[in-house]
Parts: sequence; C-alpha cells; structure tokens
Amino acid sequence: MSKTKKSNIGHYEVLFIVPNRFTEEEAKQVITAVEGVITKNNGEIDYREYWGKKKLAYEIKHNAYGYYALAEFNANKEAVALINQELRLSNDVIRHQIISKHIKSAEEIAKAKVIQEKINARKKEEAKELKEKNEKEENDNKKEKNEKEEIKTDKKSNAKELEQKLEGILNAKDLI
Amino acid sequence: MKNQKTKECHFCVNNLEVDYKDVRTLRKFINFYMKILPGKRTGVCAWHQRKLATAVKRARVMALLAATHK
Repeated sequence: MSKTKKSNIGHYEVLFIVPNRFTEEEAKQVITAVEGVITKNNGEIDYREYWGKKKLAYEIKHNAYGYYALAEFNANKEAVALINQELRLSNDVIRHQIISKHIKSAEEIAKAKVIQEKINARKKEEAKELKEKNEKEENDNKKEKNEKEEIKTDKKSNAKELEQKLEGILNAKDLI
Repeated sequence: MKNQKTKECHFCVNNLEVDYKDVRTLRKFINFYMKILPGKRTGVCAWHQRKLATAVKRARVMALLAATHK
C-alpha cells in the first residue's frame, strides 16, 4: 500500500437497539456502556441521540420493542472494526449498524446555502404568480357575474314589456 | 405519464439529503409491499435514487422499515 498522508480517522455513526427486557434506566446504563466501548477504542463521541422505546418493524430475537440510541464518533478504521466486533458479541445490544458519515466542508456548506437561497427565491416568485393568477381569476369571475346580472335584468324588462303587450291584445279581443 | 407533474427529484428540488433514519420520507418511495419503487416511478434523479435504495436497505436492517408487509 502506498503511504498517503491522509489521516486514517473518519467520522462514523452508530445506531443500536437495546432489547425490551431492560427498564428505561437500565437501558440508559447499557447505552453508556456502549459509549464506553467506543471511547475505550480511542473513539471521540461528538453527538448523542436517544430515541426512546420504539416498536420494531419486525421481531428481533423475540423482541417486539427496543430502545434506540444513536452516537456519532471519530475513530480510525481498526478501532471501528473492534467496536463493531464488541457490539456484535454483546448480549445487551440486539442490533447495531455503523455507517461512515461524510462531514461537510466549509465550501460545501456555502454551496448548499446558495442553493437554498435560490430555492427560497423561486418559491417566493411562484407564490407571487399564484396570487396574481388567483386575483385575475377572481376579477374575471366578478366580471362574468356582472354581465350575467345585466342579462337577467334585460330579460326581466323584456318580460314586463311582453306582459303589457299581451294584456293590451287580450283587452282588444274582449272589446270585439 | 401518470406522474408527469411530480417528475422532479424530490431531493434536488428541496435541497435535501437522503437519510436512512427519516422513515417518513423513505415511506414515500416504497410501495404497499415495502418494495423500493423504481426511479421512473418516483421521479428521483439517478444519483439520489441510488442513495435512496441503500437508505431503505439500512432502515430495514435496523427494523425501522419492514422488509415485507404482513
């Protein structure tokens, strides 16, 4: 293997499930024990998350429920392998998964920010367009309504005239 | 043809990252039988579709998602 100066330390994330046979307090003790395993292998934990008791999507070793916990840590490859093995052999953890996580550099964060701003601007424009469209439609609807009313009034006046004419004709017939 | 309106990558358009812990969004990209939907159907770009597939598989390992429906 070529000797590169790139550091061997990576950023990892481990999610693990503590079985339901423990109470909540005992589960927390188990979680601290797991974190102890990580720190023992020269891992630096920089983020912790406790999800609490959750229903599993399927039973694992006859456990329908489990306590989920998450930890992010920095460690080198060999340490991760050791942590993985210890967790696998442990009876207090029914399932775990270690995933290497990419840390965003300052450039990437800046890029993401620019993109987010663009998205926000576009959303604003779209909202504006929608508003204008709705207003236009409302105006059109109002116009149509007014026109319809005018026609109605016309019809009414026509009807009145017709009635008057009819009456006149009827009266004339009576005279005959 | 059916989903022509939603033919935009959900993750590119909204500047999101695919996360295997976010079951709610993952649920949108699998069908009733818990199978991963094809990119053609989801409208997700090829790059994110690959991330999505691994995310669903990771969620299955951690019992966040079922592998099949009961």
